Amino acid sequence: MTDGSQVGVIFWFLSFVILISGFMVVSLKNIFYCALFLVLCLFSVAGIFILLEAEFLAAAQVLIYVGAVAILMIFAIMLTTDMASKEITQTNENVTVGVFVSVIFAISTILLIDKTSVWRYQDHDFSEGVTVTLGKLLMTKFMLPFELVSVLLLAAMIGAIVLARKERS
Amino acid sequence: MEFAFPEYNLRLMAPEIFLFLWALLIIAYDVLTKRKSETTAGYLALAGLMITGLILGFTGTGHGFGNMFVSDTAAKFFKIIFLGSAFMAIGSSFGIMREKIVNHRGEFYGLILFSTVGMMFLSSSNELLSLYIGLELTTIPLFVLAAFFKDDKLSVEAGIKYFIVGAFSSALLLYGISFLYGLSGTTDLVQMKINIAITHLTFQNIGVILILAIVLVVAGIGFKLSLPPFHQWVPDVYQGSPTPVAAFLSVGSKAAGLIAFAKIFVNGLFAFHHPDMAPNDWGRLVALLAVAAMILGNTVAIRQTNIKRMLGYSSIAQVGYIMIGIVAMNALGMAAMGFYIFAYMFANMGAFAAVAIVEDKTGSCEISTYSGLARTSPLLSATFAVFLLSLAGIPPLAGFMAKFYIFAAGIQAAQHDPGLYWMYWLVGIALLTTVFAIYYYANIIKQMYFAKEPSPHKVTYNFPALTVLLIGLAGLFVFGIYPEPVLHFASGIASSFGIIP
Amino acid sequence: MEGTANSMSEYLSVLIFIFVGIGSVLFTFFLSRLIRPHNPYKEKSIPYECAELPIGDSWFKFNNRFYIFALMFVIFDVEVVFLFPWAVAFGELGLFALVEMIIFILILFFGLFYAWRKGALKWV
Repeated sequence: MTDGSQVGVIFWFLSFVILISGFMVVSLKNIFYCALFLVLCLFSVAGIFILLEAEFLAAAQVLIYVGAVAILMIFAIMLTTDMASKEITQTNENVTVGVFVSVIFAISTILLIDKTSVWRYQDHDFSEGVTVTLGKLLMTKFMLPFELVSVLLLAAMIGAIVLARKERS
Repeated sequence: MEFAFPEYNLRLMAPEIFLFLWALLIIAYDVLTKRKSETTAGYLALAGLMITGLILGFTGTGHGFGNMFVSDTAAKFFKIIFLGSAFMAIGSSFGIMREKIVNHRGEFYGLILFSTVGMMFLSSSNELLSLYIGLELTTIPLFVLAAFFKDDKLSVEAGIKYFIVGAFSSALLLYGISFLYGLSGTTDLVQMKINIAITHLTFQNIGVILILAIVLVVAGIGFKLSLPPFHQWVPDVYQGSPTPVAAFLSVGSKAAGLIAFAKIFVNGLFAFHHPDMAPNDWGRLVALLAVAAMILGNTVAIRQTNIKRMLGYSSIAQVGYIMIGIVAMNALGMAAMGFYIFAYMFANMGAFAAVAIVEDKTGSCEISTYSGLARTSPLLSATFAVFLLSLAGIPPLAGFMAKFYIFAAGIQAAQHDPGLYWMYWLVGIALLTTVFAIYYYANIIKQMYFAKEPSPHKVTYNFPALTVLLIGLAGLFVFGIYPEPVLHFASGIASSFGIIP
Repeated sequence: MEGTANSMSEYLSVLIFIFVGIGSVLFTFFLSRLIRPHNPYKEKSIPYECAELPIGDSWFKFNNRFYIFALMFVIFDVEVVFLFPWAVAFGELGLFALVEMIIFILILFFGLFYAWRKGALKWV
């Protein structure tokens, strides 16, 4: 069933969905719909991760971005007075420059990556499965960054509570 | 694939672990006592930083956690700068604790210490992943600290601006790091240095892909370093955030960006500095940004009416000078970079402390507030003038020696290598812009000393802020007249990055 | 890499499931459009709230409290993501990995302690 061409079809389909929904996120006037399109966009990115055989990354993407971050954004929109029903314009006078720079950057990046054939990322051996290898690496070689992530999360949590809490005067 | 638990060498990490636990202690103390005391948390934080400095003095050198954590001269030197700038930032924050920050005193200090811990891990990381997480741990508390005056619109704006710019730059940096990983197959910086060179030799030319990674990483760290064109956030964020936080941003966070930059480029991409490697060379690119920083920072600073904005532009210019040391890529350049940031710490933290003292009294950061201040507050005016003169690079202060060594390193690099002849231009532009710098620093001194009317304000000092002023003053004079010990220590930075003197 | 085709075809069922899911919803809408009468008027198009007239806009402002909980949820969600690879690799790594994870969770536990003492968990 899954030879290269069919994977290719799925890839193009997902890319199409990502691009369209991403464009909707930055162009729609109702910010609530933007958030919903963001969910679709992030979900499709998880699909791309699966195509790349990065199952763990796909699961993390769905759990964190779709399950938590996007929901948090929707919360934030609903918490802001009248934000959800308001029609807002998403562009300002910098839009031309922004589009120009992003298009140039995107095209040059794609061309450069396409022309390069010296990648060395295959050096890792994933025969046990990505998640197991990842777990072992996190627990052994990358133990320091792993523990640091916990400190980082703690700092983020304390900071978020400081900023989000309503003050009793 | 073999999985072995690394040798941890936890004792090398003792300063970081202690400071982290101390930050938890301060936060816990503050929530448990229902934040009754104004100053206890602050004094606790100062004591913690001093103890950490002592522990750092007894910590040896070596590797821990496999090759993840390294304690060498460069790491130790920068850790002293991080601890020093955190100390001076906290010292100058007692004024705002009295009135403006009532609810989250422990968190304020705890977050500064968290950020310091992140910087310390960053300076000890020998590998891209922990380097990135260290950089994040540095900046995430700073987002919150910038927005700490929640009722002040400018402060909230500063926080949001810094957050968006910071998140964007982190994404760029991460993207660049992923390219570096893809090209070298490793995140270890020393291994990367070898692997990329081997790839380059095997394939003769790895195309132009490396320049993409270089541009992305330069942009990502350039935001933290406020190198133009990634500097636009600086004036607004410095103006809006609490003055001690702005001070910490301008020295601590900048030094963190500097060591991250040096680690990736001087260490990891050692081979790609020289124009021979075109188009994959980074030396000329960074030199160009340094020129932009010096010209833009020094000229726009002249027009500022808010002292924090002016110091913001001045800090942009200072980064331009520091970058000359990195671009020079010789032993003297690395030592000069270290000495420069060391002298800059005393001058800039001192200047921000003076601004904080005036702001606590007058509530204003406009330059016109300083008019005639010398007659009512002679000590503050004198110390502030010394800090500004050091930033401008006037002898016999440490700022002069710093600029001198930086320029000497640039000229030495140009003399030794005909391919780096453009370093002469770089140093020439730096000398020229220094003259502009003297103008706007001197303008404030003129305001303070030569105004017709004496100022209506007379500042009052609290003990920690006064200490910070005196530390800055002593540091600038002592290390300006007698720079050898620091320079000797800083000369070890070069060998940490694998540059043979 | 070996097993590429196999691991991909496992996701085929997921893909089919997604398409069947979307398709069945669209099909129901399409079917009801075919057989329903089309006669909208003003009262009919207001939101149905147990046959009462709705009060105010349906876009109303939520309670601020939700936000702090959502924030805390994100933090612990990220923590859970790190638990997965640990759990999978735990069998081979043993006690040491357990200690690592305990440290990891203890650090975050301080955050929970902080939030609790700060009163951020109270629903007032």
